[in-house]
Amino acid sequence: MKKRWLIVLLLCISVIPVILLSLSTGASGLGMPDTSTAMGQSIFLLRKTRIITGFIVGAALSCAGVVFQALLRNPLAEPYILGISSGAGLGSAIAILIGAATMNVFALPAVSFISAVITLMLVFRIASNNGNVPSIYSLILSGVIISSICSSMLMFIVAVAPVEGMHSVVWWMLGNLQPANSSLLFISSILILAGISILWTMSPEMNAMTLGTETAHYLGVRTNFVLYTTLAIATLITASAVGLAGLIGFIGLIVPHAARQIIGPNHKSLLPVSALLGGIFLVMCDTISRIILAPREIPVGVITALFGGPFFLILLRTRRKQGWIG
Amino acid sequence: MNHAIELVNVTAGYKNKIILHNISLSLNEGDIGGIIGPNGAGKTTILNVITGILQPWTGKVAIYGKPLNKISPPERARLVGVIPASVTTPMNFSVREIVSMGRTGSIPRWKPISKNDEQIIERAMAYTGITDFQEQLYSELSAGEKQRVIIAMVLAQQPKIILMDEATSHLDINHKLEIMEIIERLNIEKKVTVLLISHDLNMAADYCKTLFLLNKGIIVAGGSPQKVITENNLRNVYGCDVNVHTDASSGLITVTPQRRLMPSQSGEGFTIHVIGGGGCAEELMRRLLLCKYNVTCGVLNEGDSDAILASALEIKTILEKPFSPISGESLARATQLASRADAVIISDVPFGSGNVSNLKIALESIKKGKKVFIKDGIENRDYTIDKSASSLAIELLNMGAIRWQNMSDLFSLLPSKEANKLL
Repeated sequence: MKKRWLIVLLLCISVIPVILLSLSTGASGLGMPDTSTAMGQSIFLLRKTRIITGFIVGAALSCAGVVFQALLRNPLAEPYILGISSGAGLGSAIAILIGAATMNVFALPAVSFISAVITLMLVFRIASNNGNVPSIYSLILSGVIISSICSSMLMFIVAVAPVEGMHSVVWWMLGNLQPANSSLLFISSILILAGISILWTMSPEMNAMTLGTETAHYLGVRTNFVLYTTLAIATLITASAVGLAGLIGFIGLIVPHAARQIIGPNHKSLLPVSALLGGIFLVMCDTISRIILAPREIPVGVITALFGGPFFLILLRTRRKQGWIG
Repeated sequence: MNHAIELVNVTAGYKNKIILHNISLSLNEGDIGGIIGPNGAGKTTILNVITGILQPWTGKVAIYGKPLNKISPPERARLVGVIPASVTTPMNFSVREIVSMGRTGSIPRWKPISKNDEQIIERAMAYTGITDFQEQLYSELSAGEKQRVIIAMVLAQQPKIILMDEATSHLDINHKLEIMEIIERLNIEKKVTVLLISHDLNMAADYCKTLFLLNKGIIVAGGSPQKVITENNLRNVYGCDVNVHTDASSGLITVTPQRRLMPSQSGEGFTIHVIGGGGCAEELMRRLLLCKYNVTCGVLNEGDSDAILASALEIKTILEKPFSPISGESLARATQLASRADAVIISDVPFGSGNVSNLKIALESIKKGKKVFIKDGIENRDYTIDKSASSLAIELLNMGAIRWQNMSDLFSLLPSKEANKLL
């Protein structure tokens, strides 16, 4: 038990150098921005916002991934498995192309959030035929189907879209942490932090749910309530993250696994560790994306898999015993 | 007395399929009850109704007198614990973490685990003897150890009732005993009421004080194992013949199913005359018919169990009046019938003055060159005053009659198509 909290503490401490590193690197050169000049101030503000966004989005996606993997009892589950990403992508693409996205800073995030929620409701509706409680398999299956349909439509739109519109759609789909509007960031952060906190209080129930719905029921868990609530919250925080930064892949799938390798599958400690690890990881990736081809910036979604892949592969190989069976 | 579990007129099912028809059963506090029955009888459905997974269509379910639908899930977990056949998780939880999950329903969501909870978990692990490997991974344990971990998890719920759903069916005999000993100890020491579902009739008879025999969603028998586990009940429900043996000294009931025999040879076109009586020839006649022999029988007394079976199987039989010695007329008719047969088999029947003349039928047949088979040990079942049965048997054996000990030997000696081909 003590060892666990030591790991959490260590992760918390390691946040500081990550922040310092990210603050002092960027396209405008290395070193802390000089806040005494107007230029330096705006660079500092820009980088600070990006760091906060990175942490929030990374934490949201990792925690959502933890929840999806636990409740769907599937190691391949991720925040986007129930079609949220494709739904949000489709909605956003339409919004970008018809010009609605530029009307208001809230327009694009709101559209992607709403279309994510609509997609999830659709998936649940299809999975639960005749009003029965959907089984995990039918949820995954209908999620995959809806997801495929939405991505096909998205591809169709991208194919027929005018060139200038297409670039921003693709950019959005790859995900980026470009400075978001501060009030949007504030609202999203509140939503995400509140969501993660509620999920954290439900960790004993999520632990029990990994034994299967029936066994969890025997243990006194209100299984339907837990299933619906946790999935809804996980979707909510995912949709918030997507609205903030577009579709950033890989984090929601791999960070939960890495966190489980480090701390084990108990959600009480797994969720905080995932949040921290996801946040640190995304901020690091964003830093890399800013400097690797400076002054050009590459979408952070490209970096997450490209640099994160090998790192997590090593982690998964060295510590086989923890986390998932097999 | 308080009923721990009570089902009154419960009808339940899934979607449009009705599984349980108006079931009523009750289990007293501190009892060990068992539900037995064939596959698809509705055993697990009863369990699902008791645990609230399935809402009954009609009727009521009560735990300690309180209607189940008025009991909240956490409260229910503190009353009823369930040990399923096996519990799996894709996650690598340690044994201690799994046992701690037993407290899920008892700890409020925002509260950390208390000293008291820790003690309960420690005690549960000590009780099932898993303390030593509490830090090991659950997934790496053997099936028997896993089941002990699950019992510890259920104990951490501190339930008053434990339901077992085929909880020992994956285990070998030793681990089965180990688990059942823990359960019995719980029942005696902590007065835990137990309801188990099992296919293992011997185990159910062994541990349960009350049994319910379920068939097609109806309870066909309920009560003590002696009352419920009878050859008749089991034959009706399972559709196969069983032997139920009660050990005279220990009172233990053992159930063994009878193997259904596949015909090993074809007796088509051959006739066998059977000399039986008192039920000694039932199995023999059944097997002969299974091998397609033409069977005749006699002389038997009317009402004799062999005679009843013979008439049920449409075997041509010469009958004598009940409890009367064989008359000359019956004997003559039987001798004539036997003379048409290819062989005569004398079964394990005891001989007294009333039926000893049946041996004369065999004597006449052997004189005509027919084969005669005698079940060994006739002197031990010869109740005639002058030991005439034994002397007749010796006479038969001297004339070439063949002794037989068991049926498979006997059948290999009988004339058959296969035997003819060999010649």
